[in-house]
Amino acid sequence: MKRNMSKLFSLIFGILAVALPFFAGDYPLQVGRNIMMYMALAITWDMLLRSGQVSFGIAGLFGLGAYASILGVIHGGMPSWVSIVFAAIFAGLVAFIIGFLILRLRAMYFSIVTLALGEIFRIIVQNLHEFTGGPEGIVMQGVIFGGNANRLYWLTLAGLGIALGGSYWFENSKVHFALTAIRNNEISAQSSGVNIFRWLLLAFVVTSAIQGLLGGIFVQSYGFATPDTVFTTDFMLLPIAMALLGGIYSTTGPIFGALLLGIVSEWLKLKIPYGHLVVYGIMIIIVILFMPRGLRQLLRQGLKTTNGRSA
Amino acid sequence: MKLATKNLTKRFLGLVAVNNVSFSMEEGEILGIIGPNGAGKTTFINLVSGIIMPSDGKIEFKGKDITSMPAHERARLGIARTYQLIHPLENLTLIQNIMVGSIFARGHNLKEARKRAEELCSELGLQNVERDTSHLTILEIKKMEIARALANEPEVLFLDELMAGLNADETKELIAMVQKLAKERKVAIGVVEHVMGVIRELTHRVIVMEAGEIIAEGKYEDVSKDPRVIEAYLGGAA
Repeated sequence: MKRNMSKLFSLIFGILAVALPFFAGDYPLQVGRNIMMYMALAITWDMLLRSGQVSFGIAGLFGLGAYASILGVIHGGMPSWVSIVFAAIFAGLVAFIIGFLILRLRAMYFSIVTLALGEIFRIIVQNLHEFTGGPEGIVMQGVIFGGNANRLYWLTLAGLGIALGGSYWFENSKVHFALTAIRNNEISAQSSGVNIFRWLLLAFVVTSAIQGLLGGIFVQSYGFATPDTVFTTDFMLLPIAMALLGGIYSTTGPIFGALLLGIVSEWLKLKIPYGHLVVYGIMIIIVILFMPRGLRQLLRQGLKTTNGRSA
Repeated sequence: MKLATKNLTKRFLGLVAVNNVSFSMEEGEILGIIGPNGAGKTTFINLVSGIIMPSDGKIEFKGKDITSMPAHERARLGIARTYQLIHPLENLTLIQNIMVGSIFARGHNLKEARKRAEELCSELGLQNVERDTSHLTILEIKKMEIARALANEPEVLFLDELMAGLNADETKELIAMVQKLAKERKVAIGVVEHVMGVIRELTHRVIVMEAGEIIAEGKYEDVSKDPRVIEAYLGGAA
């Protein structure tokens, strides 16, 4: 019953999301694209979090994918869509290599190193003037689909679909058992035969590849990249805030969180420019203090009480 | 011989937690590992299961040297254990907790792992397996911990203070269960316990550890009369 309900909701949401361009104007489509981009990043952040690893490297891998994509077009002569795939592969490959170094680290040591990695990527890009355009950034000729707003929307939606698919896979396969066991207790996970490093590497590479892909989609949609626009901390802090608000260790949490924060912040931007960041901060503090498991938990409890069931 | 160690030693900085321990376990045997607190019993199990690596000595499983093999590979090979402090895996139901070993130590797919976990639950008398683990009774938690270890389908199993916190009836039930495991599944079982009644009833043989060394070995009845053992427990007052 509960399962069917959530299936029905997903179906309705899915159809609405796909059909939005047919009844919405350019502004809501633009807002929708933004929200979907952040939502997808929030989901990938949560996917790795399910193993207990808190990454601050989302923006770094997003930016890396963005540059891989635009440079693939400019220097490699790739078609736009090939460059997006290339961005995913490139980010995944980089994650694979650095994973060997940093996945031995835990807790805040892991987090800080991922934060530093993003910064390193940014500094490298900034200093390769000839190749990347340096701090001023780089512009390509035209954007994908000739800038057609509907198609750009669907492209971002496809990116979100891939993140959702990845998350669904993580939740409904061996990966779920491996990551949950690792998060709970690495010692007992090993005793159950879990090869901790291998599963962490898988999670890190998959989430990084999706982040790179999203960076590719972003850059192909706007036709330019600068270190400040693609490595911005917005691409790290907002997705994390959304996942925390909605509820971690799930796919639905980041979706709710992104919808709520995305819409509220869009509305606040119009009312009080930059003030939305203050409201963000306040919302996050309230969530962490009073509902550490996010809105999702609140909704669940609400459903249980209305159903009159206790367990 | 299922499992054997030769001169196994573990030093933590200055402290020698396990010193020159050589032992072996046979198929279907229940071996008691006893000794006062801090004698090195748990450290010894940690060494054998690969949670920590020895400073010296050798570990063999069915004649194969596994001294430097990582813990998850030993689990696949057939060494399982329970932990003194049991933490059920949050976010997983009772049955999902038990499936983990089946999936990763045995490589079964989710469907097969679920089927085997269900069989284990009915064998051990665990009911309502789709429950959340936050409200289990102590006995259920202990059974779940055994089932989690058995999901590896082990040939060697270590039970680290499994009976702690159980009442007399519950203890009796688990003793019968462990004996059945040794007999029917031919598992070699190493038991760490502080309650001597349990050791007496359950084990075929015991080793007594003190300050990281084996100070006595044999049947419980004989070992319990050994003056060195009595002294180790009573600190020379006897």
